[in-house]
Amino acid sequence: MPVPAHLTVTDLPRVVERCDTASVPSIEVGESSGNDRWSVEQVEAIAPAPAAVSAARPLATPTRWSGTGADHRAVWGACRGSGAEPYEVVVDHVGVATRCTCPSRRVPCKHALALLLMWSNGQIPDVPAPSSVEAWIDGRRQRADAASARSDSSSSASDVAEPSSASDATTDRPETADPGASHEPDLPPDLPQPPEPPDRTRERDERVARMHAGLDELDRWLDDRIRTGLADPSLARYATWDQLAARLVDARAGSLANRIRRLAGEVGARPDWHDTVLAELGLLHLLARSGRRLADLPPDLADVVATTVGWQVKQADVLAGVPETDDWIVAGRTDAREDRIEVRRHWLLGRETGRWALVLSFAAYQQSLDTSLTVGTSVRADLHRYPGAALRCLVGRRHDEPTVAAPPTGTVAEMCDAVGSRLAVTPWLDRIATTVRAAPAQHGDGWLLTDATGSVPLLVDRADGAHADSLDTVLAVSAGQPVDLTVEWTPRGVVAVAVHSSIGSIDLGLRADDSFVSAA
Amino acid sequence: MSATVDDTWRDLVTGALLGTDRRDPPAVEGPLGDLVADSATDSSSERMLALVAACTSVRRAGLRPLPPAAPTAPPSDDQRPVCPAVAIERWRHVTTSWPVLEDEWTVTLLERGWKMSPTMLPAALRRHRRDAVRHARVVVAAGPLAEWLIDLRPELATTRPRATVDPAALVTLPELPVPPELVERIGRADVDQATADLAGDVESGRLGTAHRAVLINLVARIDPGALPEVARSLDAVEPMAPGHPLASVLSDLARVRGRMLHELAPAD
Repeated sequence: MPVPAHLTVTDLPRVVERCDTASVPSIEVGESSGNDRWSVEQVEAIAPAPAAVSAARPLATPTRWSGTGADHRAVWGACRGSGAEPYEVVVDHVGVATRCTCPSRRVPCKHALALLLMWSNGQIPDVPAPSSVEAWIDGRRQRADAASARSDSSSSASDVAEPSSASDATTDRPETADPGASHEPDLPPDLPQPPEPPDRTRERDERVARMHAGLDELDRWLDDRIRTGLADPSLARYATWDQLAARLVDARAGSLANRIRRLAGEVGARPDWHDTVLAELGLLHLLARSGRRLADLPPDLADVVATTVGWQVKQADVLAGVPETDDWIVAGRTDAREDRIEVRRHWLLGRETGRWALVLSFAAYQQSLDTSLTVGTSVRADLHRYPGAALRCLVGRRHDEPTVAAPPTGTVAEMCDAVGSRLAVTPWLDRIATTVRAAPAQHGDGWLLTDATGSVPLLVDRADGAHADSLDTVLAVSAGQPVDLTVEWTPRGVVAVAVHSSIGSIDLGLRADDSFVSAA
Repeated sequence: MSATVDDTWRDLVTGALLGTDRRDPPAVEGPLGDLVADSATDSSSERMLALVAACTSVRRAGLRPLPPAAPTAPPSDDQRPVCPAVAIERWRHVTTSWPVLEDEWTVTLLERGWKMSPTMLPAALRRHRRDAVRHARVVVAAGPLAEWLIDLRPELATTRPRATVDPAALVTLPELPVPPELVERIGRADVDQATADLAGDVESGRLGTAHRAVLINLVARIDPGALPEVARSLDAVEPMAPGHPLASVLSDLARVRGRMLHELAPAD
C-alpha cells in the first residue's frame, strides 16, 4: 500500500486505507487478452484460501450489486456490505489485479472474488467502462510501462557497471532506498507541485522541548510515588495513572504513555504486584533520565532511547536506510490491544545473520492487520531497521515467494543467555522473542519448559499475553518430549507463540478479537 | 553476586512499599553501589529510583534458568499414520464453513486407518466437550495421546458421562433429516437425470430457500460417487435464475465434500 512519505509510524492506524490497488501475486490463471470470461476454477485459483471462495459465494448474487459491468480489460461493480457506503470493486482480469474499498487486507478480498464469480457465471453485462475504472486501468498501464522502462535501463546499467554481480544485494539498494520510487503515489505530471516544506528545524526544536517537559513531569511523578510509597491508596486509582499518560501523549511521548497505562493494570493484579510495578517504575526513571540526555549517549543508544520514549520516525526515513537482506524466518506472531488500537507483532529471525527483527502492524476498529507474513515460512526480503539497530523493522522489497521454514533452536541455558544479552543493552524491553528446544513439565500449579540445562516458567494465562489453548497444543505436539518453540520472554516467564514440528509450524499467539478487527 | 542483588531487591521492595518519606533507601555497596554512585544526589527518592533502575537492569541481564524439572511421562505408542496436512486444513475449513460434514470427516478418518493429528487435537476435544459421542470419537481418532492429554488437562474432558456412549455410534454417521421423496428421487438408477432434475427444481425455485436445510443434508449424505455430477448440474443453473444463489451454495458443499473424501483416501 503506498503511504505518503510525510506520515509517521504512529499515524498509520488512522490512515490505513484498505484493500487498495494490489496485484495478485504469483498465481497463474492464464492471461486473457479479450473479453474471455474466466472459469470458476480460475477464480478459485487466485483465492487466498478455499474458505475465501466459500465466503464470496453468498455475495455472488446480482441483488447485492449495483453498477456492474465488464469490458475487454476490467470487471467492476459496487457491493452492498456491512459499511454505510457500498464497496467499490474493480478487477483487472488481464493484468490480474484487484481494487476494493472494503477494509480487508486479503488480496483478493471476498468482494473481488464474488464479482469474478458473477462474471464467470455470465451475470455481468458487457458495457463501456466508467471513467474511474478507465483511470485506474490507465494508471496501471502507465506504472507497468514505467516499471518495465526502469527495469530495462537498470539492467543495462548494471550490465555495464558490474556484469558479474547482477544478483548482488547492493545493486538493488538505490532502487529500494529511494522512498519516492516505492512510496510516492503515481501522480500525473500536470498536477501542481507540493507546497514548500515548513520550517522543519523549528518544528523539531518544539517537539524536543515538549518531550523534555513531558519527561521532567514523568520523573517528578515517579519521585512522588517513591516518596509516598507503593502502599499509598492513590496508586489503586486509575486516574492517577491516566492523567500522567494523557500528559505524556500531549508531550509526544506516546510509547511511555502506553507503558503507564499497562502498568496501571498491574496494580493489585497479583499478590506480588509490588515487585512488577517497582521494577517498571525504575525502568521508567531510567528512560526519563536518558531521554533528557540523548546528546551524552552513544549515537545508537540515543536513537533507541529516543524511539522507545516515543520519538516518531517517518516510514520513508526508515525505508531509506541500508536494508538487511536475508532469508527471514517468520518465527512467531501475537496480537495485543493497546488502548483502542490492536497491535500485531511478527517476530522474524535472519537465517544468515541470526538477528531478530520485529515487524509491527496496527488496526483501529474494523481495520485489518497485516496478514502477509505467515508463521513457519521464510521469505527473502530487505528489512529496514528503525534507528539505533533497533529490533523494530519495516519490510521493504521481497525478493522471492515464501517457503516453509522453521527457526533453529537452542537449550534453555542458551535461551537465557540470548535474552540476558539483549536486556543488558536495552533493559526496558518487556518482550523479547527467542527460540528453545525444551519439554513442557508440570510444576506445582504451573508449568515449566525444561531440559538438561535448566527450566523457565511457561505462562499460560491470557492475562500474561498467552493464548488459552497454547499449553494444550504444546503438550499435544510434544507428547512430553522436547519440542522446538518460539517463545516471548517477559519478566514473569515465557509465553509460547509458535511450536515447530515435523508436521509444520503452529501459530499459538493471541489473536485479535474478530469483532474489533476486520478479518477479511 | 546474585544473592546480593536479590537481597538488595527485597530491601528495595520493602522500602518502596513504605516510601522514602518514611524510610531511607538501603545503603548498597559493591558493583551495584558503584553503578549508581555518580547519580546519587541528596534526594533520597532519586537515590531510590536510581537503585531500583540499576537493580532491575542487573537482574534482567543476569537472567538464569531454574534447575531442570522432571519430565512428564509420555503417552503410549500409536502406530497409525497421522492424517495428511491437507486433511487437517480441510477439517478447519469444514468446521468453520460446513460443520454438517465434520462427523463424516472423523468417521472416514477412523474407517480408513488414519490417526488424528496432534496439532488439531486440543481444538477438536474442546469443540466437543458437551457432546459425549463426538468427544469419544475424537479420543478414539487421536489414540493414547488424547487420554494422556486429558489426564494432564482435565479442562479438555467431556462434561457428559462417557459410559453412555455406544461404541457402534462412533463409526456410524448420524442420520440427517431429509424428506424421503428427495432421497428417492436422487437415488434413482439414472444419476445424471436425477441430479439434473434436482438442479432444475432449484433453478425454477420449486426447491428454494425454505428447503435449504434439507438440501444441504441431502448433499451431505448423498452417495459420494454422485457428487461430481451434482456439482456439475448445479453449476449449470442459469445465472439470472432465482435459484442461482442456492445452487452455488449446494455446489460448493458438493465440491468440498468430494475433496474431503478424496484427501482421506485409505492409509497404506
